[in-house]
Amino acid sequence: MTIIILKNIGRFIFLILLQVLILNNIQFSSYINPYFYIYFILLLPFETPRWLLLLSAFLLGITLDAFTNTFGLNAAACVLIAFLRPFVITAISTGTEFMIGHSPSLKNQGVKWFSYYSIILVLVHHFTLFYMEIFRFTEFFQTLLRVLLSSLFTLLLIFIAEYLSYPTKK
Amino acid sequence: MHYLLYFLRKQYIYFLFFVLEGISLLLFFNNNDYQNSALTFVSNGFAGTVLNVSSNISEYFSLRRVNRILAEDNAKIHSNRSEAFYKADTESFFHNDTLYKLEYRYISAKVINNSTNKRNNFIMLNKGRHQGIENHMGIIMGDRIVGQVVSVSEHFCWVMSLLNKDSRISGKFKKNNQLVNIEWNGGNYLTGEVKEIPKHMLIQKGDTIITSGNSDIFPEGLLIGTIDHYTIAQEENFNYATVRFATDFNSLSFVEVLIDMMHKEKENLKNSFKSREQ
Repeated sequence: MTIIILKNIGRFIFLILLQVLILNNIQFSSYINPYFYIYFILLLPFETPRWLLLLSAFLLGITLDAFTNTFGLNAAACVLIAFLRPFVITAISTGTEFMIGHSPSLKNQGVKWFSYYSIILVLVHHFTLFYMEIFRFTEFFQTLLRVLLSSLFTLLLIFIAEYLSYPTKK
Repeated sequence: MHYLLYFLRKQYIYFLFFVLEGISLLLFFNNNDYQNSALTFVSNGFAGTVLNVSSNISEYFSLRRVNRILAEDNAKIHSNRSEAFYKADTESFFHNDTLYKLEYRYISAKVINNSTNKRNNFIMLNKGRHQGIENHMGIIMGDRIVGQVVSVSEHFCWVMSLLNKDSRISGKFKKNNQLVNIEWNGGNYLTGEVKEIPKHMLIQKGDTIITSGNSDIFPEGLLIGTIDHYTIAQEENFNYATVRFATDFNSLSFVEVLIDMMHKEKENLKNSFKSREQ
């Protein structure tokens, strides 16, 4: 139990630093801003109590906001997906029991399940984030393109991370 | 009351969700008004320390370019020294206080965090209230504008760069003093939009746009950019143009904070005018 908590705290710090020091500084295109740090919310264990899920997501978002001077922006998007996560998990569950202490992963839940799970949450997060950031309708399609391209890159990073952390060979 | 408590206990997760989401939205929309929240005050110190370490490392990669800019600035300053002028009559050199009062003071600051790829971009500098920085001060690089201070803590400050949806710069054409507004509509960080150019004005590619001095933030004559291309609107009353920014926002490393020594006087004048209007 303590190991799981420490592992998640370590992941929290690592992902925040990765996002702030590297991903936020990549000047690839103004349409591509991957927000890989939400991988933390995706990876919280299945039996995490919902209040803890919401609080840790809020903490994650507000910490990132401190680094980018956008107070509440990332926090709002993170709290939203933390709230939706249990619903998404029940909606796409395959009926198999989840093991205690396990996190959602590509290896345990399968490519199909994990794809649905991450695509839904990443899209919701990026959609909320980018539309809140601009907060006007004049640049609707421009923003939509940013949401789609950035989500694609975030998902790409998430899948690379999944394959790196769980090598498929036996 | 009893029922309400029962309801809260049963549905506490929804309650918690709305509370946290409410806090986030409240923070977000208040922060847009550039209010210096207590949260910014605490977090600027923390985030600033981390970003400062990171910038100390990345600073080495831009040394060559910084050196070139410094050398250019040095040359400019050398050519303004009294030794550089021909002295026709030594007695005519005296300091006339009534004619020349110091209006702006410059503080050099290091950029420790910067972005150009977001819709709303902010820059963090390593100078704060201790060094005399206050909200709404202008930031320049040489004779080019960069942005304005939006929040200050003890040792750091956040600057809203030109590349922000809330940034609106009052500028003018250098050739005929025609006033225009300059905004940034996202996308490419090299170009911005010039709004409200009257129909009768002849626009040419390469026209220089400078600050108008109408706002309290920037003095007159700072370089904003040059006209890149323009469209003659058929049905509207104004023409539009894109401007290529003089500042390269992607490679900012050292900037100057503009301290307006007469800011208080100007504010007082404005306020006295306002109160008489009511």
